[in-house]
Amino acid sequence: MPVDRNTLPPLCTPTVLHFPQIACETLDNGIQLRVIQDRENALVTFVLLLRTGSVADPVNCYGLAGLTAALVSEGSSSHTTRSFHEALGDIGGFFGADVTSDSTVLSITALTRYSEQALALLVDVVTKPRFDDEDIERVRDLRLNRIAQLRHSAVSVADRAFLHAVYGSHPYGHLSIGTVSGLKQITSDEIRAFHERHYRPEQWRLVAVGDVCSSGLAGVVDKITSNLDEIPATQKIEDVVPGPPKCPGNRLVFVPREGSVQTELRLGLLGVSRHCPDLDGLTVMNTVLGGQFVSRLNLNLREDKGFTYGVHSSFDARRGRGPFTIQAAVDVASTADAIREIVREIRGIRNTRPTTKDELGLARSALTRGFARSYETAVQVARAAMRLALFDLPDDEYTTFVPRINRVEIEDVTRVASDYLNDENLIAVVVGPPIVSESLGDLGFGSPSESLID
Amino acid sequence: MIDLANVKISLENGLDVIVHEDHGCPIVAVNIWYHVGSKNERPGRTGFAHLFEHLMFEGSEHHDQGYFQPLQEAGGALNGSTNSDRTNYWEVVPRDALDRALWMESDRMGYLLPALTQNKLDTQRDVVLNERRQSYENRPYGFAGMALMATHYPSSHPYHWPTIGFPDDIRSAGLDDVRDFFETYYHPANASLVIAGDVRTEEAVSAVHDYFGDLATGPVPAEVVVPDVENGSQVVMFEDNVECPRLYLSWPSAALLGKYDAELDLVADILAGGKSARLYRTLVHDRRIATDVSVQQSSRELSGLFSIVATAIPGTTLNEIETVITEELARMLASDVTEHELQRSRNRFEADFSWRQQSVGGFGGKADQLNAYNTFVGTPNFFSSDFERYRQVTTSSLREALKSQLRPETRVALSVVPAEARSAALSESRHIEMF
Repeated sequence: MPVDRNTLPPLCTPTVLHFPQIACETLDNGIQLRVIQDRENALVTFVLLLRTGSVADPVNCYGLAGLTAALVSEGSSSHTTRSFHEALGDIGGFFGADVTSDSTVLSITALTRYSEQALALLVDVVTKPRFDDEDIERVRDLRLNRIAQLRHSAVSVADRAFLHAVYGSHPYGHLSIGTVSGLKQITSDEIRAFHERHYRPEQWRLVAVGDVCSSGLAGVVDKITSNLDEIPATQKIEDVVPGPPKCPGNRLVFVPREGSVQTELRLGLLGVSRHCPDLDGLTVMNTVLGGQFVSRLNLNLREDKGFTYGVHSSFDARRGRGPFTIQAAVDVASTADAIREIVREIRGIRNTRPTTKDELGLARSALTRGFARSYETAVQVARAAMRLALFDLPDDEYTTFVPRINRVEIEDVTRVASDYLNDENLIAVVVGPPIVSESLGDLGFGSPSESLID
Repeated sequence: MIDLANVKISLENGLDVIVHEDHGCPIVAVNIWYHVGSKNERPGRTGFAHLFEHLMFEGSEHHDQGYFQPLQEAGGALNGSTNSDRTNYWEVVPRDALDRALWMESDRMGYLLPALTQNKLDTQRDVVLNERRQSYENRPYGFAGMALMATHYPSSHPYHWPTIGFPDDIRSAGLDDVRDFFETYYHPANASLVIAGDVRTEEAVSAVHDYFGDLATGPVPAEVVVPDVENGSQVVMFEDNVECPRLYLSWPSAALLGKYDAELDLVADILAGGKSARLYRTLVHDRRIATDVSVQQSSRELSGLFSIVATAIPGTTLNEIETVITEELARMLASDVTEHELQRSRNRFEADFSWRQQSVGGFGGKADQLNAYNTFVGTPNFFSSDFERYRQVTTSSLREALKSQLRPETRVALSVVPAEARSAALSESRHIEMF
């Protein structure tokens, strides 16, 4: 049957996704276990979440949480680095250790027939890391070297300068890799103390994904962790949720980078926490402004003007107030124009050009109809389960998402844009060739303050 | 266990259609491969296949506006990419939006040119030049990959130039180039379509007939001409805005799925897959002269490239790094890879095969893999045959692969060094210009 090429097929009533079931239980030793059963999966993944990250770094030891997590994959009292990684390879395994400001995530993925070995390996290195002096020095040196290498990356320089401009000495002002001076000061005693304090079983949020049966797994977890209770109890740790930093007001930071053939831009301000009551409105607003390809920012800067390969905006909603960031790499000659256009788009969505009915419909539709895609794989669902645990979200968080987004109206979008994107508080970071600074004077940010790459 | 049930048909206009059902999530992946990449370009118009890919998102006759809007409205994710051998386009949409995705894909396959304008070309040329800056020119070590290919292959070889292209070539592309390229490569007989996900096969096949059945076919493009000479062994270097000297050792190697391709994948894993791997152990863990090492058998349609890349701790010369690597390769050749070591790497590949089967769509998802096999082998369901190659590898075939593929006379050694540490480069390196 020939098709009608003049009419785009209309959208039908959206299909409802039944969010996969997440079975929860708390074991005798306090471990919270969540299980996502996926019988078809030839792989099993165990994810261990600790609700602490670089926010817990002492002020003179930036990088402690990250270094501690990195050392976990260097073996245990029963494994050297080499024998641990050989054992990992034997079960077709991959190990991950990721530290953000609020979280430490240690994970292992392996072939399903080796599920028990995988869990045992993870528990082994997490509970009995070696922390040998030699390993500490080696891993510390690698991370110091990494910091030195990142100074040459425009992306990384811009990210660091932006966080620093928004947060200063606030716990969110540094990345988990830390700083040169911080890393150098960390002692092996501090690493051991950090581990003892933050890696205790009652702080574990364990997520198991794959062909694992909930009750059977709990037994295995119990067996593997049964001897852990002998560790002497330390004081209960406080939940570190940092308060907001002071807003420094409108300003522009310029970081000269010799030889840059493009300008790396960050524009933004202090954003919101995961518990912000306006988060749904902000999600819709961000989708209109810069959250997807057909956003105002991208259609303007990329599709209309060709200034950039792409521009994107996002709220990083953390346990405390995370940053709101607009990011793009633009051609050098268009730097000032790109900043002007971005500021114009922010003012537009706040009041001069409020979101239209079509834009609202598009954003709501993209978010709600696109919802199922985000929870296709068991590992995606596991990450969702982890977010429930990290942010203390209600169990029905994901099943209520679609109706919540559908309740957001134009007035909500305009109001949250006005409330949360104060263009008097914007911070701009420009990383580019020295010549570009000449064009940055009259953008309404005052005179650029220069920051050197440290 | 890793094969995927599917139905394959060919339409009268030559379009291959493959349907794979997976009802785990209410979404459907649409994935189209055009068997054209930068290898089909000519000198003077490098980067064109990729620039053309950008124009595929700028509208077609019956939807002469941006390609993204109707699909993002439908809750879809979409993208495309170009490499040396093929160009792919994909959408992942809720199952009720399959028709819309097929409508959009079929319109740009059949009716792109009526919507083409100089203005669209001009804007996307600027976007692509910015992509080139962002992904290559402004990145530490960003030129290394293209420098390796240009050094290995003579200028008449289709892998000599990078897929992103040379800036002057990108600037010279005109509307006539777009028309010629579309007529030569963008038609059903040079394409393969996969629909994978929450769909009934018969419904998918019927919809494909409706949307794609009446599109005009074209001639199957001529095979590219490949000169059978390579440039041979060379030692080259350039300076870059980087902290640490980095050494690249590479050899032209087995083509995709060719003899020794699987062996070289396993060699790469034994050398640098994880912290117990041989080169990680010696360079990074034991001797502490490198910050990282990676090894890859990157196999393409015409030939592969086996590469070893190691970053030196400042103060270490790349000569020292090269010596350690050469010694390790010699040790492997002298037969001390154990059966256990081989099985460990095989297990990691087995896990990797399963890992790649979790998503129906997107880059590297099931639909993309079915299309890859169909385009390069002619059989979409090649998963277990592919994995069987790794099972067949023995310690002695590994040695044969090392001996026949990693020969000193075809090796290129590239040093990328900070300006202030020129002396860290491999001895007697010839300075090359960046593009």
